[in-house]
Amino acid sequence: MLNLKDVHVHIGKLHILQGVNLQVKPGECAALLGRNGVGKTTTLRAIMGLARRSGGTVEFEGFDLASCEPHEIPRRGVGYVPQGRGIFPNLTVLENLCIGLPGRRDLEREEYVFGCFPRLEERLKQSGGTLSGGEQQMLALARCLMMRPKLIILDEPTEGIMPRLVSQIRREIHRINQAGVSILLVEQNVETALKLCPRVFLMEKGAIVYNGTAHELKSKPEIVRRYLGLSKQ
Amino acid sequence: MEKLFLLAMNGLIWGLIIALIALGLAIIFGLLDIINLAHGDFFMVGTVLAWATLQSTGSFWLAFIVAPFIGFILGALIQQVVIQPIRNTAMLSIVATFGLSLILQESVRITYGPTPGRILPPIQSTIHLFGVDYEVYRLFAAVVAILALGGFFLFLQHTKLGTWMRAVRHDREIAVAMGIPAGRVYILTFAIGFALAALGGVVAAPITTVDFRGGVDILPFCFMAVIIGGLGNLPGTAAAAVLLAFVEGVIQSVTDPTVARIASLVLMSAVLLLRPQGLFKGLTR
Repeated sequence: MLNLKDVHVHIGKLHILQGVNLQVKPGECAALLGRNGVGKTTTLRAIMGLARRSGGTVEFEGFDLASCEPHEIPRRGVGYVPQGRGIFPNLTVLENLCIGLPGRRDLEREEYVFGCFPRLEERLKQSGGTLSGGEQQMLALARCLMMRPKLIILDEPTEGIMPRLVSQIRREIHRINQAGVSILLVEQNVETALKLCPRVFLMEKGAIVYNGTAHELKSKPEIVRRYLGLSKQ
Repeated sequence: MEKLFLLAMNGLIWGLIIALIALGLAIIFGLLDIINLAHGDFFMVGTVLAWATLQSTGSFWLAFIVAPFIGFILGALIQQVVIQPIRNTAMLSIVATFGLSLILQESVRITYGPTPGRILPPIQSTIHLFGVDYEVYRLFAAVVAILALGGFFLFLQHTKLGTWMRAVRHDREIAVAMGIPAGRVYILTFAIGFALAALGGVVAAPITTVDFRGGVDILPFCFMAVIIGGLGNLPGTAAAAVLLAFVEGVIQSVTDPTVARIASLVLMSAVLLLRPQGLFKGLTR
């Protein structure tokens, strides 16, 4: 479904991505893990066309995403929930939800989204900036779902969220994946990532250094220690 | 007392017209990070287009459609040819828009001529208000400006493009990642900015002179409104334009215009020092 082949990104003189190879299959839930600054967010930005690639290809359902404008990528079925949520605080909840739709509203889709996040329905007219951190994360996920994505890319969705809401967001991500939507998750919380995602990619110095199942990774503490800096899992 | 009323009313109406022009400046600055030194000339082009429409068709009223339309097309072209290649480079944008300002002025000087002209108000009658015979056209100008301002804010709040403009203004990258064609939004924003200034030019043409340097005085006033209203704060900019022009009008009733302008500059300096986020921060949305 999503296929990154030898992707390179330079920012100024820095060689941030040094040949990333990564595949997400249809319906799969995959985690991209690594220490801070190894290039996880840049990888996601390269997929979305927000970071200019200096080499390699990003294909989605066999289509080279480099051949379309970045704003066309969400319409091809790739949803993005950026780090820090990226909601528009000056827009209402409803405006945030409908922002990517070509028309004004999609009532059928709204019903589905409010089924996942009922709290948003109560706050439709409220500005996005007045929501709590957890509600903003729900809004970011809901906004992405409004576009009927086939693949959702999530960049640290539980960062800075109350523990009670972390489990709700984790549940919703699992439910979305169970509904057939593929997931590529970047997460600092390794426990959350390994619980959610059967497939794991580990990144180090701008390249994928491990590609395997979460189950295998749990049995290789030396790899976890080496690439994630954790002593126990 | 009659003089105070007259100058205060004139100031208020002039402020509404300036608000139209300053709004264009504010949306261009807010969205594209462009300090547009040619914006006063967009207004001047509007006055000249009003004059040209009157000369070629005999009807001033047609200019209310022709000038904003031509302004919109010119704005879209200028964004593509001049602004787009230097986006994200604030210093270059100052140089480029200064050059654009000179090009517009000289183009008008060559075609229209260097001598300032006048357009007679298309409504000649007056109305007796508070002991003064007040020009009906000025009241009409105020109504047009209020309708245009109201229409613009409705457009911004209730249309897809308006919502996109507010989203791109907040975060271009996230907006693109949500499927918003930011490039197209930039073009339309610049085009709307030009169209608003051109409309302001048409409304103001029978009140002021038609002159190739007509935008030079307008620009600092618009910048003052943008600063006092709060950078990027559109309702604040409109409110500041009206407030400034009204205060200048009142001051002019007791002293000369230069002192009134100095008072505006003092007000702007005070705002920059004491409330750099602008006088009308609460109006931001």
